[in-house]
Amino acid sequence: MKIFELIGISILVFLILLLEWRKLYPNQKKEKRLLVTLTAISLLLAILLLYFPEIPGPTQMISSLFFPLGKMLK
Amino acid sequence: MHDKGKITAYQMALMIYPTIYATAVLMVPEITGQYVGRDSWAAPILGSLNGFFTAYVLYKLHKMYPNESLIQYSKHIIGPFLSKILGLFYLFFFLYMCGFILKEYSFFIGISLLPKTPMIAIIGSVVIMASLAITGGVEILGRASQLFVPIFILPIPIFTIMLLKDLDPKNVLPILEHGLLPLLQGSAAPQAWFSEVFLISMFLPFLKDPEKGLKWSFISLFAVLLSLVSLNLLTTFLFGEMTASYTFPVFKAVRIISLSDFFEHLEAGIITIWILGAYIKITVFYYALVLGTAQWLNLSDFKPIVLPFGLLISLFAIWEFANLQEQFEFSKFIFPFYVPFMLTVLPTILLIIAKIRTRNTMKKEPPRISNY
Repeated sequence: MKIFELIGISILVFLILLLEWRKLYPNQKKEKRLLVTLTAISLLLAILLLYFPEIPGPTQMISSLFFPLGKMLK
Repeated sequence: MHDKGKITAYQMALMIYPTIYATAVLMVPEITGQYVGRDSWAAPILGSLNGFFTAYVLYKLHKMYPNESLIQYSKHIIGPFLSKILGLFYLFFFLYMCGFILKEYSFFIGISLLPKTPMIAIIGSVVIMASLAITGGVEILGRASQLFVPIFILPIPIFTIMLLKDLDPKNVLPILEHGLLPLLQGSAAPQAWFSEVFLISMFLPFLKDPEKGLKWSFISLFAVLLSLVSLNLLTTFLFGEMTASYTFPVFKAVRIISLSDFFEHLEAGIITIWILGAYIKITVFYYALVLGTAQWLNLSDFKPIVLPFGLLISLFAIWEFANLQEQFEFSKFIFPFYVPFMLTVLPTILLIIAKIRTRNTMKKEPPRISNY
């Protein structure tokens, strides 16, 4: 179940969030929202990659977009 | 302004040199060698034309909007809505490139120096170092490159001298045996690397002496051109047609050095020096990502998002490629189109639109002639 990796990633993400949160002033609402969004995306992506390391990623997306041009070089 | 630091044009040139060269030295000799064989020295010359063109376009755009980066001034050119979408494309590109460079770095270090170290440790250590520099702002980047890049350039002439007795200049003949088409195909990869000079767009607003910006970017590009041509000549003189069959031919060349049975296995030294350049490259792209995001969302400060982005780019690095072969195929076929499309084609379109718009407004309001 890879439970230790899961706990480790969660602790890391939580630490980063805590560390950066303390640097922010109360009136920086936009920064706080971005910070939470970014760490949430990272946490989700990390868990996803932990259980499905072979999942298609940005490389496959870009490759399929530029594949017709790439044939010129073959 | 998100960053109050100021750098000189010279420091910017020192930052751009490893930004192009550090990974070009790994991939380009091998890729060009597969197309053009012994003519691989000519491919960077053709490819560099794109670099000079990109630098010129971005400098022109910078002169029209002096205190802003591309992500900020695009809203004056194509309107706020489209510029947000364009900014998102660029941020994704920077995120992708950070992962790409980190992956390349970790593959290379893993294969050549630390075969048993887990990839995440190699990536994590350099990301933490880079995030420390970025938190310090653009001045720290400038000073770090001033310190590191001269050490990074130095080994090229030294190792060339050490290899002199093994070189055979006849390997380079005959020139252009198979015509021009393979040369054009071979210059596709170098021109993609040269277009990374785009990163001057992020640094030009911070210059103390902006009028020297173009001059120093050209000097930097010329230095990269000279280094790539000389290294391609070196590997061709040494291996001949065999160059393309080695992974990382330049480091294979260093491995061959043997002076009086005393100076041997110098590759560990050159990898250590190479890390300095790769570190500057990672930091520059990471900085562009973090600063670009802060400008895109009009944040007051970019420092709080440095570490979260560090985590994200490490994850992207793990996600992007499963093995070196996959990354090599991508660099060969997709990279030469994706990177120049983002870094050369889109800014050129922006410049054309901006020129047309300013001309139209000039027609509407004829410039007032002052009578002293």
